[in-house]
Amino acid sequence: MTDLLFAEHLCAGYGGPEILHDVSFRIDHGELCALLGANGSGKSTLIRAVCGLLPFRGKCFLEGKELSQLSQRARAQKISYLSQRSSLSIPLSVMDVVLMGYNPVLGIFQTPGKAKRHRAMEELRRVGMEHLAERDILSLSEGQRQLVMLARTFVRGAPLLVLDEPDSALDFQNRHKVMELLQAQAHEEGRGVLLCSHDANFAMQYADRLLLMKDGKLCSDISMQACGCEELQQALSKLYGPITLAEHRGNYFMMKG
Amino acid sequence: MAACLIVAAATVASLVIGRYSINWTEVFQDSMSAKVFFSLRLPRTCMALAAGFGLAVTGSVYQAVFQNPLAAPDIIGVSSGATAGAAAAILFLGGGVAATALCAFAGGLAAVLAALTLAAVSRRSGIATIVLSGIVINALAQAILMLLKLTADPEKQLASIEFWTMGSFSDVTMDKFSGVILWALLGIVGIFLLHRQILLLSLEEEDARMLGVPVKWMRRLVLLLATLITGAIVSVTGLISFIGLLAPHIARLLTKSSRFSTTVLSGLVGSGLMLIADCLARSIASSEVPVSIITSLLGAPFLFFLLCRKGESND
Repeated sequence: MTDLLFAEHLCAGYGGPEILHDVSFRIDHGELCALLGANGSGKSTLIRAVCGLLPFRGKCFLEGKELSQLSQRARAQKISYLSQRSSLSIPLSVMDVVLMGYNPVLGIFQTPGKAKRHRAMEELRRVGMEHLAERDILSLSEGQRQLVMLARTFVRGAPLLVLDEPDSALDFQNRHKVMELLQAQAHEEGRGVLLCSHDANFAMQYADRLLLMKDGKLCSDISMQACGCEELQQALSKLYGPITLAEHRGNYFMMKG
Repeated sequence: MAACLIVAAATVASLVIGRYSINWTEVFQDSMSAKVFFSLRLPRTCMALAAGFGLAVTGSVYQAVFQNPLAAPDIIGVSSGATAGAAAAILFLGGGVAATALCAFAGGLAAVLAALTLAAVSRRSGIATIVLSGIVINALAQAILMLLKLTADPEKQLASIEFWTMGSFSDVTMDKFSGVILWALLGIVGIFLLHRQILLLSLEEEDARMLGVPVKWMRRLVLLLATLITGAIVSVTGLISFIGLLAPHIARLLTKSSRFSTTVLSGLVGSGLMLIADCLARSIASSEVPVSIITSLLGAPFLFFLLCRKGESND
């Protein structure tokens, strides 16, 4: 079976010196991959390159098709992307924001029909925001907006979900909820998930694989099922310095020192 | 519904108010009342109705596309281009009504095309590039305008140019109205059809691209359609301030949304405001007052109100 995403020797930057150096990795259907790394390690650059938002050198294949050969629309049909912050500037109802997620599969003049509205409400229910469907998105807190954006990311059922810190404004409960939802998207719906995160503990608890980035390079690609505590600790200490890993009920927790 | 009733009432008022009182029983006979009604009041009212609607719709488009609640046609040079065009017609083509309208329309369109070309040539994407190109073209058009004003005859031509920049419906005829309404309608229908894409253009460029919007060409298409509407309207009326800024804000205040129905409501609010402003313009003084004075007097306090409201919500 073809990989969902296969990147080979990716190099990218923003016009100046390259930030991403020779990164290769793959993501399969049904896999939740967490991208970890310090600030400025190239996580967001990698995500942008994979989404076709940045020009890159190297090869990147999406379901066997070369990314650079796909139109923006075709790419948008296959990748559902969630940026770090919601970029909404005008008043829109929560429902309208979620319905925006359908745009890649609609004609330019087409509007979402009843079935799509129903599905959008289902997704809002899934993230616990259905009671705010008619509220103005600008009146919500940043955390609530992130949940709405997550519903928008799920609504179309794209094969690959790419999320840049989708939980940065969420409280403890909602962060667990979001990670559970992402896990369900991967394991139950068979989608691939590439998640950029700053929380190694959440990543270790929910992700199937950890991609560790340092100085624009992929320094480790770890399968959570196959690796042991020592290997994991060694890999993470490359990013975070001296750390200790503790195991509790089959989950690892990272502490400084 | 309430907006439709207000617009209907303002339309009736606009048809009734004027220096010459119309005898309504003689309107459909060959009489002075019929002449006043069909050649003055009706075209003027229709133009005010269409101008308010069109400017309000384009205002909401500019505000969404430029992700700026204060965006107006000036931002990409439509107004200054149209003014330079009108001034050139007043100076070199005798200032005939048709020539002024045509040159103003061409000037506005040329300015926007120049701004969009400049933005494309710069090879930088992003809305900031279009805004910067607009500033360049604006400055260029202003320089041309100043040059034209410098060479203008101060008593007649300069006064005509200044009067044009203050906007008025006093010269509107049915011929002029029918000459521009098709262009404006074409733009409005296009904007309505692309409404969903315009909302997506209000997002950051990366988000819009990842939602499948061909951002660059969609932005150009939408701005050209908005220019078509503005250019067509101001070519007949001269510059009209604040309606494009005011009406979309009022509509959003009422609906707390930016749906298609909000854009239509914004158009209706624009029509209502324009009709009221025009009625005031021709009735508050012994001679007619340029309509932009009235719209600015209405607009400035409202802008202040918005400022206070924003301040409250940020506290």
